[in-house]
Amino acid sequence: MIEQLRQTCRRLLEEAKVNVIIGYGQSSADGPAFPIFITKPEQVDKLVWNDKCYANLTTYLTRNDVKALGKPAIIVKGCDERALVVLQQESQINREALYVIGVACDGVGNPRAAKCLVCDVHRPRFADEVVGDTAATDAGGGRYLELGEFLKKSPAERMTYWMEELSRCVKCYACREVCPLCYCNRCIVDKNRPTVIDTSATLKGNLAWQIVRAFHLAGRCVSCGECVRACPAGINLALLNLTLARAAEEHFQYRAGIDPQKTPIIGSYSLEDKEEFIL
Amino acid sequence: MSEVITRKNLQDLVNAWISRGNTAAGPVFVKPDVCMYEKLSSGERLALDSFVHPTNSIKEFYFPRHEKIYTYRFKGQKLELDDCEPARTPQLILGARPCDAAAIAILDRVFNWDYKDKFFNLRREATTIVTLGCAEYDDNCFCTSVGLGPTAEKGSDAILLPLNDGEFEVRCLTDKGKALFAGKTQTSSQEAKPLSGPENRVDIELIVAQLEKNFEDPAWREIALRCLGCGACAYTCPTCHCFDIVDEGNAAGGARVKNWDSCQFPMFTMHASGHNPRSTQGQRQRQRIQHKFRIYREKFGETLCTGCGNCTRNCPVELGVLNTLLSLREHALRSSSEVRG
Amino acid sequence: MENVYKPELMEVVKVQQHTVDVKSVRIRFLDPAAAEKFSFHVGQFGMFSAFGAGESTFNICSSSTWKDFIEFCFRRTGKVTEVLWQIDEGDVIGFRGPYGNAYPTDKWEGKNLIFIGGGIAMPPIRCAIWYALENRAKYGDITIVYGARTVGDFVFVDELDEWAKHERVRVIQCVDPGGETPEWKGEIGLIPHVIERSSIPADNSIALVIGPPIMIKYTLPVLDKMGLGKRDIYTSLENRMKCGIGKCGRCNCGPVYICKEGPIFTLEQISQLPQDY
Repeated sequence: MIEQLRQTCRRLLEEAKVNVIIGYGQSSADGPAFPIFITKPEQVDKLVWNDKCYANLTTYLTRNDVKALGKPAIIVKGCDERALVVLQQESQINREALYVIGVACDGVGNPRAAKCLVCDVHRPRFADEVVGDTAATDAGGGRYLELGEFLKKSPAERMTYWMEELSRCVKCYACREVCPLCYCNRCIVDKNRPTVIDTSATLKGNLAWQIVRAFHLAGRCVSCGECVRACPAGINLALLNLTLARAAEEHFQYRAGIDPQKTPIIGSYSLEDKEEFIL
Repeated sequence: MSEVITRKNLQDLVNAWISRGNTAAGPVFVKPDVCMYEKLSSGERLALDSFVHPTNSIKEFYFPRHEKIYTYRFKGQKLELDDCEPARTPQLILGARPCDAAAIAILDRVFNWDYKDKFFNLRREATTIVTLGCAEYDDNCFCTSVGLGPTAEKGSDAILLPLNDGEFEVRCLTDKGKALFAGKTQTSSQEAKPLSGPENRVDIELIVAQLEKNFEDPAWREIALRCLGCGACAYTCPTCHCFDIVDEGNAAGGARVKNWDSCQFPMFTMHASGHNPRSTQGQRQRQRIQHKFRIYREKFGETLCTGCGNCTRNCPVELGVLNTLLSLREHALRSSSEVRG
Repeated sequence: MENVYKPELMEVVKVQQHTVDVKSVRIRFLDPAAAEKFSFHVGQFGMFSAFGAGESTFNICSSSTWKDFIEFCFRRTGKVTEVLWQIDEGDVIGFRGPYGNAYPTDKWEGKNLIFIGGGIAMPPIRCAIWYALENRAKYGDITIVYGARTVGDFVFVDELDEWAKHERVRVIQCVDPGGETPEWKGEIGLIPHVIERSSIPADNSIALVIGPPIMIKYTLPVLDKMGLGKRDIYTSLENRMKCGIGKCGRCNCGPVYICKEGPIFTLEQISQLPQDY
């Protein structure tokens, strides 16, 4: 399978169909995998594919330094691909100017990451070509089990939980930078005329930041889990994003990045939308 | 012959310290698989094994992520300023890794470069650091490449060396350390076996020479491509100390505060005019490595890195200082062989 | 223990508007003891606070020979300068300083001085001009070339006339082609061209050149042709600053901290700096 992947990439570069391949590499066979950028056909042997390929590479498509490299080909797992759908809906990428190589994936992490246990996108659905195959079957549901367990706590318990968790946040913004949908050139925390969110990593500043970020991702977050993996303070940010994802599904029958034809819920309305909470 | 202390007695020591109204901090498992340096409410929470390095550093305790440097109040056209003092409560950090303790001695240089930063100095004065020698290391550790090691004593007031039975040999290095452990240890014939650290992973002298010779190195663009420009490396690093100064308040008044900042953020060097001298991630990565291995060394004779490996452990895309240095060397060898080729 | 980040409180004595977005402000220490202790050298800068908005870095544009007050000049550009734009006599702001190195006025003694400024870059030169005029005997001929895009962009215009009245002082004012008004009596042309055709003697001279990067870029070859060496040409660099005292790690240009080892550099020193500003 890896040979097929490398062949495809070699061909794309040799035929100048793309200028850069965004994929995964490894320094050693048992070391971690990380994003790499291949610009020459002879470098394709650096590409790897295994269960350590955690990173959601789509976050690079909106970064200036990477855009400067030219037309990209990108390797995506099913979960990463959901971000591509949203990016396209939001006009952040030109799908025609992008070659998507999907990899059929039966999960990352050993033991498997939480998101993989409830995954229903093992095979990328909109790629220009799909490499490999997987025996894993798409989960029927259970997406919000982790959240459901958490919501059994009383509001007071949950508040205590978040005060404790968010007191460890240092505002490193790793969560923002790994997220493919956090692509604003000037993030709300970087604005100072006026200052909307304190830059200080106090509990107040952290609560403001994390809650605002979750809301800015409402109806857009694709649950790729990268923010949780990236957080150096071990904060389970997924609980915030899953709450809003579940609200989007329950109230608007919408899941970000699943159906490119569905209109994104933020930025649109329908006459059937419930209004009880505003009246 | 050596002085030893049991785990239980260490816990008691911490509890007694706290009960006297002092503060304490050390490694704690905040989640089953996440170990961080945290403020201790009791000695029982202290973790003294089952981790290589906490995901953060101890700088939080003498160089906090946020602190007020003074407050201001508007009174009509007039203004009142009130100075802020860092708390001088004695603070004990028990279980710091040698690579964390060493940083306080290294940072002392910049915080006292002509102007003396009282926030750093007063906190340092009030802090006693007891270091925990390292019985193991991982692929991210490279302390031995920057002149340190698993039992390095720089910056420490005392060091605990693991013994086979779970107890610790205690070596007091300063008056603060001696005062802390006076009467708390027992003499024993046991002695800690010498601990070996990782083998040398990169030749720092070659790096420094490369940084001096080739500031505009085109390698930076490639090396930094996967860097996301977050602050995970800088904020978990024991020696990174760049900070921001902002005002926080309202119409009645407020405070001027000092917060951690990172040279990796795009806005770090942005001018009001819109000009940004470091507008690409390659330039920003270059700044970090130049600062740590060349600039700080030129100014103060110290390397601004202790090889703890936190940058790599916490980097979402496996970059970090060691990988960057190795890439720099790889590029240098490749281009020199191309020239010779 | 002293708090090196805490500013002195200053009372605004006078505010003068120069252009549509440039003002200069005169301030004095509220605390007489601080006023007594204070002194600076021309070329140094300070961190000026608009409490609630933050601090900004400005050159101290008054002469060090003037006691009882200091002055700074700013363009209304961002968060802090927007608040500074609103201040009036009697208001209180903050000041930390003096920071940075200074013009080597002692090295310049006995030399002819050529001051070249573009637009809002006049204030950091103004302090040096006044210093030289107040110590007239120590310096030779003084030539001042001051250019701006349009007539409305000059600052401290009344002082230009005053300077011209001094002994052996020649003032050349110029606007970019198209920036003149019908009444304009000065030169018309870009600064480098105006310098070229003004036959300024360059023997035993130093030049202080401050202005936008593009102006400096094209002025330097002209000065070179005139015979000025790299060690004879000075400028003032700027970079984003926060602490001003070498700790926050922000303003360095390669191994050089602009706040501690600058902002005044000779051309020779700048040519050794990496492109990091």
